[in-house]
Amino acid sequence: MSTRKKIHIAGIGLISPLGSGLEETKLSLKKNISAITPLNSSVFQARQSPPLPVGQTGTATTSPLPRTHTLAIKAAQLAMKGITATPDAVIIGTTTGGILHTEELLTGEVTDPLQYRHHALNSVAEEVAEMLHCSGPALTVSTACSSGTVAISMALKMLQSGQAEYVLAGGVDSLCRLTYYGFHSLQLVDPTGSRPMDVERQGMSVAEGASLLLLTCDKTPPSLAQVLGCGLSCDAHHPASPHPDGKGAMEAMQKAMTNGAIQATDIDYINLHGTGTPDNDIAESKAIMALFPVPPELSSIKGATGHSLAASGAIEAAIAALCIREGFVPGNTGCLKVDPECGLSPTLLPQQYPVRTVLSNSFGFGGNNACLVIAANDYPAPSPVQSHPPPLTILGKACISGAGHTESSMGRFSQLEAIAGVLNAKILAKDLPVRSVRRLGRFSKIAVAIADAALRDSGQQNSPDSVFMGTGWGALSETCNFLDKLRESDEKFSSPLDFVGSVHNSAAGQIAIIHKATGANITSSGGDYSFEQALLAANNFLDDSSSGAFLLAADEAHSKFSPLFDPSITAETPLADGGGGFYITRKAIPGRISIQLSFLRRYQETTLTEMIKAVTAKGPTEKECAMILAGIPAADTSDGEKQLDIFMRQAGLDIPVIHYRKFTGEFASASSIAAIMAVHLLEESVVASDRKILVLGFGKYLTAMEFMYQ
Amino acid sequence: MDTLINDLKNRLIEILNLSDITPEEIDENAQLVGGDLGIDSIDVLEMVVMVEKDYGVVINNKDIGEKVFSTLAALADYIQKNSPKLAS
Repeated sequence: MSTRKKIHIAGIGLISPLGSGLEETKLSLKKNISAITPLNSSVFQARQSPPLPVGQTGTATTSPLPRTHTLAIKAAQLAMKGITATPDAVIIGTTTGGILHTEELLTGEVTDPLQYRHHALNSVAEEVAEMLHCSGPALTVSTACSSGTVAISMALKMLQSGQAEYVLAGGVDSLCRLTYYGFHSLQLVDPTGSRPMDVERQGMSVAEGASLLLLTCDKTPPSLAQVLGCGLSCDAHHPASPHPDGKGAMEAMQKAMTNGAIQATDIDYINLHGTGTPDNDIAESKAIMALFPVPPELSSIKGATGHSLAASGAIEAAIAALCIREGFVPGNTGCLKVDPECGLSPTLLPQQYPVRTVLSNSFGFGGNNACLVIAANDYPAPSPVQSHPPPLTILGKACISGAGHTESSMGRFSQLEAIAGVLNAKILAKDLPVRSVRRLGRFSKIAVAIADAALRDSGQQNSPDSVFMGTGWGALSETCNFLDKLRESDEKFSSPLDFVGSVHNSAAGQIAIIHKATGANITSSGGDYSFEQALLAANNFLDDSSSGAFLLAADEAHSKFSPLFDPSITAETPLADGGGGFYITRKAIPGRISIQLSFLRRYQETTLTEMIKAVTAKGPTEKECAMILAGIPAADTSDGEKQLDIFMRQAGLDIPVIHYRKFTGEFASASSIAAIMAVHLLEESVVASDRKILVLGFGKYLTAMEFMYQ
Repeated sequence: MDTLINDLKNRLIEILNLSDITPEEIDENAQLVGGDLGIDSIDVLEMVVMVEKDYGVVINNKDIGEKVFSTLAALADYIQKNSPKLAS
């Protein structure tokens, strides 16, 4: 019998409106006090009064870092206190990144791109990894309000499968105008403060916070609790409203329990997502009633903390560990009279209660659901995961570039002509039904068009059930439009449509709705390495029980934002955008091409040697490998060229190298088009069928993807 | 009233990006939400913002909202009766 691997929580860095650290949080929770208060101008001054109730932390922003980054750094320091090990990976769930700072820069009409260097979502994980000297991947997931939970789920998978020994994972978001006014425009904010499950509830309170958990399979450090299982699902129903029957929520809860090998009857406490919006609380209640004939103790803490979006799930995972350690259940703060329509009996006041297992729920925009099971240390861990899963096989491919759709793009590439540019919007959407994509901006249209075309190319009857998507910058048009309208109206008016479209996972959510993809749905935002991060996510979450997945990456070019945010794009750089994607399945199919991620780490001198080892592990590479497609973002030209040169010399390779950005142009998800190029070259027999093509990334990261016939 | 209805049809096409239809094709007496136009709750919220911004009429009550957004004609009627801009 194989050894069961327990994933311990060896450190917790928790900052919420309730306080900093576990002790302060515990005292606040036991007093059942709400930390929701009107927005205080220390974060930002709202132009319209009265200010809305929010959950604000006492953390002061440490310039020049934006507030989200400050919160993440402080949480990381708390989590790592007394720990000597360095994490092998950092995984941060966030939706805001440096947006609060960006909002101020835009208002001040600042045009220096250097000032916007912390805008990107992935800059948060980078700051944390840099501080901790982590040379492994610093990953960013952005699945709206389930981001922190998805980050912890990803850590769980990486630890269980032996990809890492220590992972620092969680979520962080700061208050900012985008979310403050965005949720208000959707009429989802309760003017008196959030009171989940209450019959008179009117919505949520937007909040901020950070929670990072140091997770490890190492038994040495003292452990607070263990992460037993995780479950992801997608409603595939609506961009911003939950499925009315909580179908997706139910599926995620069931998956988490199955993954943790635990029965519903063995759950002692459910930490509700419980935002306080009428729809969420009803849908979640229905899901619980369907799964639990006799529901256990349950409560939402969001009446105390507010809803800190990407941080919320990680904060609640930390509180789940606290409940287990302390033997107590937090109260459902703010709820005075339970809504009979919910049909549940939440624990209204905090109480001492022995807790050994907690189911913690997080649901977000895009129908992105994620649940965790946290258990006492002595609870039996589930069986180990399969250590050598089948390869990811490509069934269909598609891309969009400045040259057009797949055929035009690859036709031009075959002639060794550049395909860079910004494709005309009408040609981009030529195969998309006008009415169903009317609300989508350019970013989402690119993504939806790629998924549709990949399905057609596969010849498969059915769509896959999962979506793994990468994007460096997300929906720039909607973000810009939202902030412009807000500013122009002196913060009086904002567009709900732009807000819903602005979230990074909006495109993946749309793909899920169109294709009824109710499985895992993860959006990764890893700057120039976003496609590789999406591939890592697919590798960890796609199992052979799934029908398959769309694996893709996309970015839109934006005349104002792209040169401000992307360091590889200057005012003189011709704009380019697009993306590429596949229909993949977790199944070995002889005669088909597979895609494999062999390396993904932050660049350090030693990492280059490790990358060479990883790529050449299976023997003399020159006989195996026919060609290299190399990606060096313009901002990293000098370092990247040196790294590539060392790589070629040390690996002893003398094979053709194509610098793919010369063809695709400069944009964050260019490597996804390089992946399409690799498959195209194999399919067109440009290289021998028994040899593989490497798509390598250089610069701030070193990445390697391998494409070959099985 | 006809001018207001026509004005609303044009605004609807613009803010909801209904680029495949003309104002003449919208029936002001047809069901607005969940009808042929494919308008849902987020579109309604976008219309709420437009109505307040362009006509100065605030609709923040769910029950009133349901009545007002039942048809385009009902919306026009409500705006006509409550808009300080149109009254002046």
